[in-house]
Amino acid sequence: MKSIWENYKTDLAYDELMLSEYQPRTISHGLCQYLNSLKKTDIDKRKLAAELAIMEMGISFTVYSDEGNIDRAWPFDIIPRVMAAREWKVIEQGLKQRLKALNCFISDVYGEQAFIKEGKIPVETISTSKNFRHECVGMRPKHDVWANICGTDLVRDKDGVMYVLEDNLRVPSGVSYMLENRVITKRVFPELLQGINILPIDDYPTQLQEMLASIAPNSDRPQIVVLTPGIYNSAYFEHAYLAQQIGAQLVEGGDLVVDDDDFVYMRTIEGLEKVDVIYRRIDDDFLDPEVFRKDSVLGVPGLMRAWKAGHVALANAPGAGVADDKVVYAYVPEMIRYYLNEEPILPNVPTYLCSNPEHLDYVLAHLAELVVKPANESGGYGMLVGPHASAKEVEAFRKVVVANPRNYIAQPTLSISTAPTLCKGKLEPRHIDLRPFILQGENVFVTAGGLTRVALRKRFVGGKLVARWR
Amino acid sequence: MLSRSAERLYWLGRYLERTENTAKLVSVHMNLLMDLPKGVEMGWQQLVKINGSADEFYDKHKVASERNITKFMLTDAAHSGSLLSSLTAARENIRTSRELLPDEAWEQVNEMYLYTKNNLDSVTNRRNRVLFLKEILKGCQRFTGLLSGYMSHNHPYRFIRLGRNLERADMTSRILDLASLLLAESRSDELRQYETILWMNVLTALNALLMYRQHVRSRIKGDDVLSFLLLDPNLPRSVCRCIIEMLDCVGDLPNNQAVPDCLHELKQFVYAIDTKQTSQLQLRAVLDQLQTHLNACHQQIASTWFLRQT
Repeated sequence: MKSIWENYKTDLAYDELMLSEYQPRTISHGLCQYLNSLKKTDIDKRKLAAELAIMEMGISFTVYSDEGNIDRAWPFDIIPRVMAAREWKVIEQGLKQRLKALNCFISDVYGEQAFIKEGKIPVETISTSKNFRHECVGMRPKHDVWANICGTDLVRDKDGVMYVLEDNLRVPSGVSYMLENRVITKRVFPELLQGINILPIDDYPTQLQEMLASIAPNSDRPQIVVLTPGIYNSAYFEHAYLAQQIGAQLVEGGDLVVDDDDFVYMRTIEGLEKVDVIYRRIDDDFLDPEVFRKDSVLGVPGLMRAWKAGHVALANAPGAGVADDKVVYAYVPEMIRYYLNEEPILPNVPTYLCSNPEHLDYVLAHLAELVVKPANESGGYGMLVGPHASAKEVEAFRKVVVANPRNYIAQPTLSISTAPTLCKGKLEPRHIDLRPFILQGENVFVTAGGLTRVALRKRFVGGKLVARWR
Repeated sequence: MLSRSAERLYWLGRYLERTENTAKLVSVHMNLLMDLPKGVEMGWQQLVKINGSADEFYDKHKVASERNITKFMLTDAAHSGSLLSSLTAARENIRTSRELLPDEAWEQVNEMYLYTKNNLDSVTNRRNRVLFLKEILKGCQRFTGLLSGYMSHNHPYRFIRLGRNLERADMTSRILDLASLLLAESRSDELRQYETILWMNVLTALNALLMYRQHVRSRIKGDDVLSFLLLDPNLPRSVCRCIIEMLDCVGDLPNNQAVPDCLHELKQFVYAIDTKQTSQLQLRAVLDQLQTHLNACHQQIASTWFLRQT
């Protein structure tokens, strides 16, 4: 019988589990031994069991199409990814450090602007940022924390170093899939957890609940709600899941009302009830039609009034997205030095800013080797991957960049690390990333691990996921 | 509790009860037809009469054959009264209320839905249909049981119960409506011959046969069955019991002045029904009024707790 490892290649990039075709890394020794003890038919059975569990648990995301919105089952790779506790400790510290610095920066931007005045960042970078909100100037959210929930994307290059690819500070998603992945892994490979020391991750809902309670304006037992755009949002499953896990009400814009006293209330069977904390999963733009987009039917008219009066906490705070910008990203190491007086623990991917004339010259001369990204988009929209683009595409992109240099940054193409992934009954190396989630309220907390997304093909697009272990 | 959530859970209760009732109805009817000789005026068409969808059925189908009727009742997604439609609506309601219910509740409904989706074609075959209906009935009971055992008996629970019992009373009245056809003076001698079997099936459809025997201790007679199914205070599917359950739920809900009044009125109405001295026409008129009363209760529930105050 053929082994699932047949023809497994590790020369593509750094492999997270395998040193070579036959040699597991120290950290994955137990895992590989266990996998090898299973027959191929066993693996197939467990893959099927995982798919069934996902269907039954209704772990889904919504896909939009002409035939209506379809609820799709979440694609999941059963081969776990493990990481050494020693390495994770450092990453954890690095992530905490990073979020603390980012929050200092956002507070500064809407406050004294010392970072700008001292010339650490050009004033135009902030003033032209799509996510800078004038309405937030002068606000002081509790604990001076604006980004309470952050999902940071990490990738490992061929040299084995973990780089921060981006910080998602607006409405990062994926944490529910991380939690459910672990539940499924425990169901599918119950024997595996006997032999290997794996940290639990179920703590996240408790931590999230505590963090949200810690930012309540003034209430011992605050009323916390999760504000969702509704059932047609692709992350609706996650909104409902998190609300259930933290015992909060899941509300839509229409369930909330801001009264003449500038407090936020929800419509209940007993009449209007005061709301203290809103974990909002709606973008700034749609939050309050009185202030932002007038045509928004997802938001709550008057919400910004209530927030500015200090009557309700919003997580993440409006305007926090100013630090979720690929140009601002380039300045994070400097922020860590400036605000915390520390050296950055986690490195950035080297970044060229097209707004800087010298950088722009370099970028235009090396377009075919670089990855060029728009500053404000997420999810890989509107970007150029030089080595994979045709000459025509490169030339078209050159015009776009020259027309609006502020909106673009460029980075060298990384050789992103791989992990064994089950493809048609056989293991193949696939590129992966890692998104841990960081919470900051009164305290800072990092999930023990994160969501790993797997590139389905050779190129890095979207993906399926693996529970992250260590 | 959010008004929107209350409304969704109430409908969850109603749709799941409807799912169960539809399964039960088809299952009992199938059994009945197997007992009766060919040629009596009971046929598959009675099923679409019960839920008032005969017109819709004949728009789509020429013949009230077993195949057409069961497809229409069970798996026709375009027919809002089909089992599939009820289950789909129940699933949508629970999907949007997950934060209020134990995980298992969602998984149970989702599992039933997936099972139904995977067996859409098998229901035309009698043997497969028997298995399918059994599975659905089990699933509905499992849902009720796990809520009762896993969930706090709080407001969300009360709204599910409220919906379930209103729907249940409605279904019982519909089944009695159908049974009233059996009292028709014009019924054939042949049908009269099988009357006991028919009434037994009515009782079975409402899980009431055993309880009837224990409680009424007489041979199965139409007027006794009617009065048992309307007035027995202990039988879960009697109209009277459903009203008692609803009164129990609303007593613990906030701002509830108008709803108990409405329910008491309904109860008085039911108590006043005299099953001994009714002709078929009178009975049908009474059952019609009963449905109107139930609808009034629904309206009152909606305006008390669901409609948004602005």
